[in-house]
Amino acid sequence: MQDNLTPQLMPAFSRPSDTAQDQSTTGKATSTAPQPVNPTVLIPPIKSKGLNASNVRRMRRIIAEDAEWSLAIVPLLSELCIQHIVKNFQNNPVLKQLLPEHQQKVLDHLSPDLPLTVTANLIEDENYWRRCCAQRWVCHVARHGGSWKRMFFERHLENLLKQFIPGTTDPTVILDLLPLCKNYVRRIQVDQFLHPSVSAPPRDGDQSDSGSEGEMEEYSTDHYQLRDLVAGLKHLEELDLVYGVKDCGMNFEWNLFLFTYHDCHSLAATIKACHTLKVFRLTRSRVDDDKARILIRSLLDHPALEELDLSHNLIGDRGVRAAAKLLSHSRLRVLNLANNQVRAPGAQSLAHALAHNTNLVTLNLRLNCIEDEGGQALAHALQTNKCLTTLHLGGNELSEPTATLLSQVLSVNTVLTSINLSCNHIGLDGGKQLLEGMSDNKTLLEFDLRLSDVAQESEYLIGQALQANREAARQRALNPSHFMSPTTNGPENPAG
Amino acid sequence: MNPPGPLEKEDEHLSTPILGPSVHSDNPQERIQARRLRIAARLEARRREALGECLDGKKESEEDQSKSYKQKEESRLKLAKLLLCGTELVTNIQVATDIREIQRRVEEEEIKRQRLEKLENEVKTSQDKFDEITAKWEEGKQKKIAQDLWDMLNTQQLHCAGLIEDKNKLISELQQELKTKDDQYVKDLKKQADDICLLLERMEEQVKNVMKTFRQELSHIEKAYEVERQELLSSNKKKWERALQAHNTKELEYLVNRIKKVEEYEKQLSKQRIWDCEEYNTIKIKLEQDVQILEQQLQQMKATYQLNQEKLEYNFQVLKKRDEESTVIKSQQKRKINRLHDILNNLRSRYTKQIKQFQEENQSLTLDYKRLVMQFKELQRAMRHFALIDEEKFREIWLMNEEEAKDLIGRAFDVDRIIHTHHLGLPWTAPDFWFLKNIGPISQQPRKSATEIVEEVLMQTEEEGSEETMSEPESYLDLPKQVSAKTTRKVLMLLCDESGFLIESKLLSLLLPLEKSECYLLRLDAIFSALGIESEDDLYKLVNFFVKYRAHHLPSGQENQISSITDKRSYHTSKKSWLSELAKSRSHNERSSVMAAPESVEKLPVEAGKKKNLSEGKQEVQSSPRLIHPNDVLKALEAFVMGLNKPRDPRTPLKKRKEVRDDSKDSEYWKALTMVIPPAKQNLWDALYTALEKYHLILTERAKLLLENDSLEQQNTELQMLLQQYLDSKINSELQVPPTQVFRVPTK
Repeated sequence: MQDNLTPQLMPAFSRPSDTAQDQSTTGKATSTAPQPVNPTVLIPPIKSKGLNASNVRRMRRIIAEDAEWSLAIVPLLSELCIQHIVKNFQNNPVLKQLLPEHQQKVLDHLSPDLPLTVTANLIEDENYWRRCCAQRWVCHVARHGGSWKRMFFERHLENLLKQFIPGTTDPTVILDLLPLCKNYVRRIQVDQFLHPSVSAPPRDGDQSDSGSEGEMEEYSTDHYQLRDLVAGLKHLEELDLVYGVKDCGMNFEWNLFLFTYHDCHSLAATIKACHTLKVFRLTRSRVDDDKARILIRSLLDHPALEELDLSHNLIGDRGVRAAAKLLSHSRLRVLNLANNQVRAPGAQSLAHALAHNTNLVTLNLRLNCIEDEGGQALAHALQTNKCLTTLHLGGNELSEPTATLLSQVLSVNTVLTSINLSCNHIGLDGGKQLLEGMSDNKTLLEFDLRLSDVAQESEYLIGQALQANREAARQRALNPSHFMSPTTNGPENPAG
Repeated sequence: MNPPGPLEKEDEHLSTPILGPSVHSDNPQERIQARRLRIAARLEARRREALGECLDGKKESEEDQSKSYKQKEESRLKLAKLLLCGTELVTNIQVATDIREIQRRVEEEEIKRQRLEKLENEVKTSQDKFDEITAKWEEGKQKKIAQDLWDMLNTQQLHCAGLIEDKNKLISELQQELKTKDDQYVKDLKKQADDICLLLERMEEQVKNVMKTFRQELSHIEKAYEVERQELLSSNKKKWERALQAHNTKELEYLVNRIKKVEEYEKQLSKQRIWDCEEYNTIKIKLEQDVQILEQQLQQMKATYQLNQEKLEYNFQVLKKRDEESTVIKSQQKRKINRLHDILNNLRSRYTKQIKQFQEENQSLTLDYKRLVMQFKELQRAMRHFALIDEEKFREIWLMNEEEAKDLIGRAFDVDRIIHTHHLGLPWTAPDFWFLKNIGPISQQPRKSATEIVEEVLMQTEEEGSEETMSEPESYLDLPKQVSAKTTRKVLMLLCDESGFLIESKLLSLLLPLEKSECYLLRLDAIFSALGIESEDDLYKLVNFFVKYRAHHLPSGQENQISSITDKRSYHTSKKSWLSELAKSRSHNERSSVMAAPESVEKLPVEAGKKKNLSEGKQEVQSSPRLIHPNDVLKALEAFVMGLNKPRDPRTPLKKRKEVRDDSKDSEYWKALTMVIPPAKQNLWDALYTALEKYHLILTERAKLLLENDSLEQQNTELQMLLQQYLDSKINSELQVPPTQVFRVPTK
């Protein structure tokens, strides 16, 4: 409403501003003080929403007496001053010196298009930044720690990075932003890095459908180097990168998704230097064994790292072995290796590391091919592990032997809350054994057995056991935390 | 390529039992399937909810209480189920793609393998063909005929063409495959887009659904609450009304009751009033009568009061008088008491003064007494000292006199002997008198004290080991004849061991570091002092008593013991007699050496003594167990002490007698000394003296004559000498006539 009103009032305020200037010394002190103007000149009812109640009362009384009421009123001097400040904010940013209520007014009227050099370090007000964000994107502020300002800078930086073309775009565009945003950016989430050869046409995913670019195999240089940027951001906690191009459609070329060795080394040095980093994601970037080893080596004994996500890459057993080593040399809590090329040896090395690990909470090995050998090794490790709560082994060609061992684990382990075995070949007998194991377990809350050839009956019974466990957990927590977990996941679905 | 994975983040929940067939079907079908699934899920959710309710008794009871809670729980479960099913429905797509991907991978692998195999085969066959062709080239080089060469070249060309064709075919096949793959890719992309669309659709639907159901459930819950509230309100209202009604009816009842009661009470009151009036009257009359009586009594009382007052007045006066008198007496008595007090004080002071005086006197007297005692003691000491000195002096004088007398006697005897032998020519025999052998004053031997004896005995027994025989005879001289030293020692040892209670504990502690013998000695000393044994006699009495006691109580061991004692006695006596004989034989020559004699002679009887000793030792060993039993020692001791106490009293004169010397024999002794030479012999000596005088005179005359003769002879020789001289002189020669010629010397 406020925004709608201002343009209407603007002409009215601006005109008498010159005359009102003389009275500013007296009238500025208090807005509720008796007006020096003619009693007939009164505040219009439209404006009453913005002002306080006393004015409203007086206004009503006088309307009844004065028939010659005019809209052309003289606004308060303070209002006029604020108008002026707002108008000239870009050249002369005056904010901190004002009274709090005036500050609020100024902030309410500032345009979101003001240059960041002026606003970035001056304005803390969330409302202003909310307007800035709302103007540009559909926003989910919850994903940026509930801070609109942080969200603005993160999204802004993300956009810049996404559209950065090495060789053609000036790197100062990003580095100029660095001093402005270094205090606010905690996460960099970039889901595409443009290739230098993709010169002009594919600005963004929207245009790529037209399919105008044809030749890309001229020279394949590297992507944007994050090193300088990351070194400047002192609060950076999360790095979410995809070395690839979004929505390339039929213009697909392997080159677009090439994560070069130079990129890899540079990225490794970057994350090694960033001691505040907690979450590192590098997905869909065709990271193979060697690159994974380079990256993981740089992460060994990292002081803060808690989550490592290398899903949708080409990591084989050697890379996984390095990751297993990382498990024992860091405080990693979440490890995601979904959709890689992990086979039995890799899973065994992971299991070996897992057996005595006390940090890892979540392990995701979806869409790999660890087979029974690896599955059994992991199950053995789970018998001694006392920390892991979530395990995803969907689509791993597992079958009955693993199920047998897992059923033993279920009856022993009291930490696991979620297991996913979907898309495996557990078989009818395996299902029965898992059901037996479930009958002794009181902690497991989720157990996915979809499309794993398990008899419907046992699946149903397992479901009932889980239901009972969940009820028990709910009773334990004495608050509807059980409800919360699905609902919090709810909004994420449409966002993706 | 997979769909980019927003779905990965989703939780995979409990699987629905029915899913399988819908995955591979087209979109609309799948959608229908999904709806059906949802309906089924809901139905199932309700069913399970019912089940859960049935299972949970506690919940049921709670639900009985509140409909709203029931509704809430129901909604919660329903919604949970819905959410679960919804997420499952959404993730189903992901799972389906996953499995499709897995299948694709498997197929791909298979195809890849086949392709590789095929290529390898192809390579092999083409290699063969190529080898064939190259071999033929060699063949062709050898051909000389153009026709043949041409033919061969033709065939080679054909072969090569075939090979190339094969390769081309392969290439085209691969290209075909590539094209199909491209198509596949396009299809996959489309499929992916469709999937995503479906996903979005489902999500939206899910969101809508969830929103709807949430709203529905919210409204349900609200309705339930409303209904419950209404019910509650109505029920409360009803209750309230019922209560009000009941209250009203009760009120009415109470009112009626009250009215009835009031009436009743009024009746009772009137009755009571009448009754009270009557009673009041009667009581009034009675009381008035009472008042009159009491007034009469009052009058009487007043009269008596007057009387009593007068009496009391009189009594009071009397008492006052008496009081005065008593005060006077009191003062008198007080004065008397004061006086008496003064007297008492005076007496007290005097008493104390006297006490002081007497104390002083006492002190001075005690001091005097002490001084006197000291003086007395000193005097005694001096007396003892002088007595000793006197004794010594007496002894010395005695000895001196005796020596002098003996000297004189000796001279007399010498003279007598000379006279006898030289002058009379008679043999001379020395006279033998008892007093000649006596040396020192004639007196009894001093008694030894008990302890000295004991010491002696003990020392002696101690030395026994080394010089048993040497010391034996000496010691036996001192012992009484009945008891041997060994027996004594044994008895003493026994006594020492058994009567340790007589010794003071302090002494015992002091004795500990000492030697055994010394220890025994000191112990015995203490015991003797306790028993009152002081002298030698007492000790011997004790030993004898013990021996006798034992003999009395052990008649069997008596003989042996006695025999041993007698044996010893005989030995002693024989030894003594032998010793006295020896002394007598020597006394002629050296009387003084008599005392030393036993020491020198002792060596002689050693042989005999040894033998006896051996037998004695044996006997001792045998008899030792027959000594008095240690347990009887105390009894014996007691009896002994009882016996000893009796003759204790006349001990004091005995001591005195000891001090006075017996000098009755002295004069006799001295007289006897003077009478050594009898008077007959003196007469003889007188006669002899006169005769010898005469003989002396004659001899002196003869001596004078002899002297004269000698002088004459000397003169004669001198004259002869002178004559010779003259004759020998030179003048004679010169002379004309020498004288020599004249005469002849008669001597030549």
